[in-house]
Amino acid sequence: MENHLIKTILKVSSLSKSFINVKAVQNISFSLEQGDIFAFLGPNGAGKTTTLRILLDIIKSDNGQIEWNLNGKSNKLPEAGLIGYLPEERGLYLDIPILKSLIYLASIRGMDKTDAKKTALEWLERIGLADRAKEKLQVLSKGNQQKIQFVASILHQPAFAILDEPFSGLDPLNQEKFIDFIKEINNQGTTILLSAHQMPLVEKIANKVSLINNGKELYNGSLSGIYQTFGKKQIIELQFESPLNESTLQNLTGIESVNIIDDSRVKLTFGETTDMKSVLSQLVKVEGICDITSHKPDLHEIFLQLVKTHRQ
Amino acid sequence: MKYWKQVITVTRWEFSRFFKPKNEVIGIVIMLVVSSVFYFGGKFAFSDTDKKLEISVINDIDFMLTEFLKDDYIINRIPAQQKSKFLDRLKKEKDGVLLETDGATFTLFAYKNSRDIKKLKTYLTEYHKQREMQRIGLSPDELSAVLSPASIVETFLYTDNSKNRLVLSWFFAGLMILAVFLSFAYQFTAITGEKQLKITEQIVSAISPQVWMDGKILGITLTGISSMITYSLLSIIGGVLFFQFTGLPASVILEYLYLPSIALYLPFALIGVLIWNAILAAIASIITDPNNSGKSSLMMLPVVFVIASFLVTRDPDSGLSVFLSWFPLTSATAMPMRWAITEVGFWQLAGSFLLLVLTFYFLRKLAAKIFRVSILITGKEPTWGEVYKLSKQS
Repeated sequence: MENHLIKTILKVSSLSKSFINVKAVQNISFSLEQGDIFAFLGPNGAGKTTTLRILLDIIKSDNGQIEWNLNGKSNKLPEAGLIGYLPEERGLYLDIPILKSLIYLASIRGMDKTDAKKTALEWLERIGLADRAKEKLQVLSKGNQQKIQFVASILHQPAFAILDEPFSGLDPLNQEKFIDFIKEINNQGTTILLSAHQMPLVEKIANKVSLINNGKELYNGSLSGIYQTFGKKQIIELQFESPLNESTLQNLTGIESVNIIDDSRVKLTFGETTDMKSVLSQLVKVEGICDITSHKPDLHEIFLQLVKTHRQ
Repeated sequence: MKYWKQVITVTRWEFSRFFKPKNEVIGIVIMLVVSSVFYFGGKFAFSDTDKKLEISVINDIDFMLTEFLKDDYIINRIPAQQKSKFLDRLKKEKDGVLLETDGATFTLFAYKNSRDIKKLKTYLTEYHKQREMQRIGLSPDELSAVLSPASIVETFLYTDNSKNRLVLSWFFAGLMILAVFLSFAYQFTAITGEKQLKITEQIVSAISPQVWMDGKILGITLTGISSMITYSLLSIIGGVLFFQFTGLPASVILEYLYLPSIALYLPFALIGVLIWNAILAAIASIITDPNNSGKSSLMMLPVVFVIASFLVTRDPDSGLSVFLSWFPLTSATAMPMRWAITEVGFWQLAGSFLLLVLTFYFLRKLAAKIFRVSILITGKEPTWGEVYKLSKQS
């Protein structure tokens, strides 16, 4: 039964965009409900950033429809104050004090300057850069610049935030911090549309994903759905005592693909219908194995598998 | 209302980015110091030339020549035998002039040709004229009548005080060029810098390219106008000081500050700066790398058009002058110049101004459109043809 309490705030239908010699986006459709964290996944040049730029009306699409329902006015790009945008490439004034830049960027999105200053200082405190508020951005490290860029995109408390590669340039600790920030603003009511390459991070926060390659949609739906659809295979990772001899695995049956990780480690993928008991009994006979782990494919593996299959 | 609120926000941002009172003061101080160094240094350097030149005269039998020159030169009459001794001394001391005359020809000996020699030659020519007139028997009154200038009483139906008005229009043209040049530097820094830093994408996700372009044009124009005002005030103060030093009444400067002229010139100059800022912003939008772009030279266009507008002063009523005073790229300076020196009807002033405003209105729209299609092009610089094609697509 359809849940009428869930409000669709963005519906993209059959979106296409071509540049001179490239079909950047081909017939892409997806939708976001209020409160979603939607991850837009795809390899470099897949068309993610082009799609996000079309959503923000920075570039025009050739075909397709975008229906917004964020401010009660359907089909119109919402007011700037309702949207936050973190561009893929950092874009802030390097030669201007950080706080001043943040206030300006919030004020062009309609935020009152006093509120902008107060909120900016609070965020700077949270990301550990409060003491550098009056410094110019150019003196900060890339990771810290990315933090400022993130603050600039959500400072005005938007109802919808588009984050293009938010984890880019961050160390693992700060990536975890960003996960918490994104969850927090989502809990406060901001719907998130993000694109990223870091699948383990996406798995932690997204409830919906869309995977595209060469501008074409490979999957669109819930995160759990992608596991149900593409995650039924079995993966076994073997660790050998000494460098692996490929002929060792020749007698194993049911293997769909072999992925050699390094000299002594290998990842084997088996089809959904493979009898894993039989596989294990075969593995017992293989000499030199010191460790066996088994798991269902994670998002990273599904991503690789889908893109590889699509390219073939 | 939202449009204006956003434009004002961007305008204030751009103005505060580039208008630095401290830098303005430093610029003025440097200008004053350099001017003072040139003025007083020049005075000091040429102080020697103020002293009277010493001339040794040979063969001035009737003392007429020495009498003629004595007020402006130190004259030594020397016998002809001392000529070779004088020439020997001239080689060593490199100073002084020997003047020899046989009544019809003057022979000068000096170490090298100089301004003093040129001046002396004009004195000798004058002396020669007077001698020749006396020789043909003119009385002193007749001589005076011959030498006096023609008596001309000037009466014109138009051009009351036009010289002052023309000077003021040149002054405004100069200020406009100053403002445009400053704006040019700021536009380059602002737009190409923001493109390189990828700030534009962040900004236009929040506001429309038109708002951003309008704010930028207005903010940078304000910066240019602020400099215009600063340098105007400085010029007035400098003028007053100059008149004080030269002994002329300082009120002379007030004769140039004719309020109706200022009321006319100021709006023309203001829209002129806005138009050029819109054009420069459009050009800067296309440039991806200011150091290697062939389009950078287009930034010199304003100077060409402002210089062209000076043609008006040769014949303000010619067809070319009328055209220049209506053509929007020259009218901001040409119309005030025409108005200063000939009769220009009110409808012409209003019409030219309206055309100027309309041109600005459409140019800023064009600039925003060019900006919109150029914003994401950061690799190869697009040609005008590509920009046209892309703008048709957008």
